[in-house]
Amino acid sequence: MRAYLSYARGSFLSGLAYRSGFIFAILNNLVYMTIAYFLWRSIFGDNQTLRGLTFEQTFLYVTIASSLMVLLKTWTDWEISWNITSGSIIMSLVKPLKYQWMMMAQSLGFCLMNFLSIVVPSLIFLVFVFKIPINTGVGLLFFPVAIIFSFILNTTIDYIIGLTSFYTESIWGISSTKDIIILFLSGSLIPLQFFPEAAQKVLKLLPFQAMYHLPLMMLVEPEQTASSYLVSLSVQLFWVAVILILARLFYNRAVKVLRVAGG
Amino acid sequence: MSLIEIQNLSKYFKVLNRREGLRGAFLDLFSGDYRTVKAVDDISFSIDEGEIVGYIGPNGAGKSTTIKMMTGILQPTSGKIEVNQLEPYSNRIANARRMGVVFGQRTQLWWDLPVIESFKILKEIYEVDNETFKQQMGLFEDLIEIKKLYPVQVRTLSLGQRMLCDIAAAFLHNPKVVFLDEPTIGLDVSVKAKIRDVIRELNHTQNITIILTTHDLGDIEALCQRIIIIDKGKILFDGPVQRVNQLFGVYRTLKAQIFDFNQETLPRLNALIQTKFPDPDAVHINQSEDFWTDLIINQEKAPLREVLNLIMSEFALEDIRIVEISMENVVQRIYDGALL
Repeated sequence: MRAYLSYARGSFLSGLAYRSGFIFAILNNLVYMTIAYFLWRSIFGDNQTLRGLTFEQTFLYVTIASSLMVLLKTWTDWEISWNITSGSIIMSLVKPLKYQWMMMAQSLGFCLMNFLSIVVPSLIFLVFVFKIPINTGVGLLFFPVAIIFSFILNTTIDYIIGLTSFYTESIWGISSTKDIIILFLSGSLIPLQFFPEAAQKVLKLLPFQAMYHLPLMMLVEPEQTASSYLVSLSVQLFWVAVILILARLFYNRAVKVLRVAGG
Repeated sequence: MSLIEIQNLSKYFKVLNRREGLRGAFLDLFSGDYRTVKAVDDISFSIDEGEIVGYIGPNGAGKSTTIKMMTGILQPTSGKIEVNQLEPYSNRIANARRMGVVFGQRTQLWWDLPVIESFKILKEIYEVDNETFKQQMGLFEDLIEIKKLYPVQVRTLSLGQRMLCDIAAAFLHNPKVVFLDEPTIGLDVSVKAKIRDVIRELNHTQNITIILTTHDLGDIEALCQRIIIIDKGKILFDGPVQRVNQLFGVYRTLKAQIFDFNQETLPRLNALIQTKFPDPDAVHINQSEDFWTDLIINQEKAPLREVLNLIMSEFALEDIRIVEISMENVVQRIYDGALL
């Protein structure tokens, strides 16, 4: 365990080595928030609520979603792909550690760095400039747990995508496809309430909503009961289990390509 | 009790036969046209604790494949392999805990972090206790003055410094065996000497088994008591380094650039050498790169000085170079029966 934490620490510190990039990432997020503000303002027009959400709720949903997206952008798929195509994965395989947890730890370090350097400044901006009230109810207790599940889902999907490099040598296409699918189907760009009824029913059956929509609703809808939070968390947990099992199965298959066919 | 035990080990790869051009590349997508490459073909040897063994051979001989099987990365096609009484492939993590690895072309240090951070991370990964950590870092300070590199970002180290740090990192957790794959590649003479000293010292003080692959015969002479020579997946020689040392020692390659080189030059040269040194093992003539003719000379049978005098009496030479025999030539000599 300590070995993996020291790995996370290493990637956290490595991320800090590129601190000049943060300023642009923060700026990027702030510009997005500003655009989202005016866009949704005009969509709402004179309406008090649309699809059961007020403007404040929608704006909170959309901006926290974009911050969450920044938080979870750890480039793990690209890292793994690069390790595989360059062959440097053997430096990881000669360590007495599990490759999947190593990558997870590395992603965690990156994630924490994103949190401190980009998400916190953005949140401060959100609260003090746009004066968005953050829900201080019981949802705030469940939200961090939900984010941990989101992190595991996100990183494990990245991990699976990265491993496809054993077969494809380049993951550019498949990685961008994944990014776009998650962007639309998880609620990270448009709140799921704004999708047609039929589409919503389908989306509820997919793992992507567990990454963004479920945690976000904990912040947005203050008057949920504790049991409805627990339902959301169980759905997330279910998908975490499914994706982790898929990742394990896929790794065992993919690594055979290396182990049998050579590196 | 031997530390590494290898019996009838083989590793075959299936390689797709690639076709030429755009059309070929497209057809390859659906091709089932594989050929089998025998990277390692039925080799056996065992290595005792504390030995330094040179594992050498030309490019593509199967050295790295064997190392990757010993480290548990590759699964053997057939045969038995045991390191520390464990089968590396099915016990990758347990095996990794007791070994250190340096791949000369890669680094296990964290590229963006100061050197000391990498050592701290490795300390946690291999669960090295504080006492041992302090003791090992003290040893590295004595050997390579690592302290002054602590705050330096790995990416800004020179190649030599980085390699010294990588070697230290491989020995940090007091492993039973360390695999060094081309540790002196691309380094200048003084750094090579330093690295050889360090490796010898670490082997000596901690009785760590070292498997060394290299292209540099100097490494072998400086470090190994025993060498294993492999080519095309098969072991050509396994024995004390002294016997092969003679080979490196007595052979020299004389490279000559002959003035006005034409089609008759080589036959004339051959005939000239034949008259003076009729023994077929005395001098070998190869036309190598443009304008250069290589004469591989066995100094016991044909003194270099005499060969040179002989050639200069008949040919006008523009330039000459005298170099030590190369890995490829050693292997060629062994094929020709030089060690039998």
